[in-house]
Amino acid sequence: MADAAPLPEAAVAAERLTKRYGSLTAVEDLTFSVAPGEIVGFLGPNGAGKSSTMRILAGTMAGTSGRAAIWGVSVALEPAEAKRHMAYMPENNPLPEDLKVEEYLTLRARLKDVPADRVAARVAKVMEDCDLARRAARQLIGQLSKGFRQRVGIADALLAEPKVVILDEPTIGLDPHQIVGIRDLIRSLRGKMAVLISSHILHEVEQVCDKVVIINRGRLVAQGRPADLRRELIPTANFTVVTRAGLADVTRAAVAAEPAALVEALGEADGWTRYRLALPAASPARETLAGALIAAGLPLREIAEERIGLEDIFIAATRRAPADLRRP
Amino acid sequence: MRHFRTLLAHELRAAALAGGTWVSAALFLALMGAVHWFAVLDGAEAPQTATPLEATFQLFWIPLLCVLPLLTMRSFAEERRQGTLAALLTTPASPAAVVWAKFTAVWLTWLAFWLAFAAFPALVAQRLGTAGDFRLGDPIVLGGGLAFIAVSGLLHVGLGILCSCLTRSSALAALLTFVGLLAFTAAGGALEKLPIESWDWLGWLREPAAHLRTFSHMEDFTRGIVDARPFVLYASGMLLCLGLAVLTVEGQE
Repeated sequence: MADAAPLPEAAVAAERLTKRYGSLTAVEDLTFSVAPGEIVGFLGPNGAGKSSTMRILAGTMAGTSGRAAIWGVSVALEPAEAKRHMAYMPENNPLPEDLKVEEYLTLRARLKDVPADRVAARVAKVMEDCDLARRAARQLIGQLSKGFRQRVGIADALLAEPKVVILDEPTIGLDPHQIVGIRDLIRSLRGKMAVLISSHILHEVEQVCDKVVIINRGRLVAQGRPADLRRELIPTANFTVVTRAGLADVTRAAVAAEPAALVEALGEADGWTRYRLALPAASPARETLAGALIAAGLPLREIAEERIGLEDIFIAATRRAPADLRRP
Repeated sequence: MRHFRTLLAHELRAAALAGGTWVSAALFLALMGAVHWFAVLDGAEAPQTATPLEATFQLFWIPLLCVLPLLTMRSFAEERRQGTLAALLTTPASPAAVVWAKFTAVWLTWLAFWLAFAAFPALVAQRLGTAGDFRLGDPIVLGGGLAFIAVSGLLHVGLGILCSCLTRSSALAALLTFVGLLAFTAAGGALEKLPIESWDWLGWLREPAAHLRTFSHMEDFTRGIVDARPFVLYASGMLLCLGLAVLTVEGQE
């Protein structure tokens, strides 16, 4: 939708958001933002407060304190205006069983203020984008598989071309083919809409998201680009080395290359021993280690840097002690 | 309220396609058919103070208590159970628009049931071969009775909608509506039975009790007497119920 208004700094802004259920604090002092056009993964263990946060941002639940804003509009003070900029797909994606997909999307388009002369075109477009047009358009929602129901939820979210899309576990229950399809669909939204997406499939999040926000026990434990978080949370670069040399020789060669190197023997098979070498992440020896080990005359069969994925970042972040938690 | 028409059209369509609506309609017409037929037979056996149509309308409380809760119970309770109400409220549609649309759809359905009943006097007259007999199909009684149903239905349906907002269980919503309607319908009569005149401290109840006589309202309507007070009572009661329903839905957001 064309909009001449200047872009807000944050498409989604959560400022010191807190939600308490009686004595239980689900979300505490949570602050993060999503820039326009950015895709952000919202991660946390089960019960971390992800769904509560998303529901507050979507305006379906009131926070206890703090401020939630969508496209600069307060969700609490101007809910209707905030909802006009946003679409939300909740975790269990509740849908009416007795409507056909096309009927449901048409109703939702009207409720989302899609101009009357564009409703049919928008419904057709999102059904095409979500691969619903051929096989599911005229089926009752109650007869659809889980995968197609998820697609209906995502199609609904995209209907009114909102500026912000909040998706709570959009790939849950999907088979690998469907996950790839949804991933490509979400990726295609980059630059067009701000997307906040929660998922347990960290590999998916890593492939799709520009930034991640990690919460644990309702509190922010990390946020930023995966590469930055990798540097912040995992300060070492680990190498796996397989050689016939003993621990003393390997240690000597590794320390010669990087004085702060740590060596650990992992196991031996057929006379070949597997070692883990840990270097500071910023050490220049990362690029010269292989050469240094060969130059030291070690009989080397294999050397490889261990890949640090989002899973490692997630585990490192969620293991942080409360004292380590950093306020942004 | 910009989305009221969209929501109303959706609710009416859903009501027309729901099996529960048709079951309720069949139950309603069977009940009213039986009530009316027995009223005609009573009238044929011995002279009565009321015509068969008046006697039938005096038993309006039977379908009110047995059928109306079936129409209102699912409106919010089922949506809350499925989670679709929360999904609906993620759109710019306001809770007020949702409540009013559901209320209007059930109210129109309730009226449609009674309009279908309006064919009964003609059918009875045709069956008995007495077409044109004024006693069987007095248009003032019929029109007045239907007007009473329409006006009192504002409050009755509003109460059902409110009860449906309060729970995720359709059965519990129906039970709450039944109790609420029973209490309201019987309240006027019950208050009349109290010796209010002899209790000074209850003197303030005299005036309100006089306004709560639902059966008197019905009799006035069927006699063609138009009094503004029932309109005010039922319309204000409806506004109170729907206002509380909107607050309840907003509170559930």
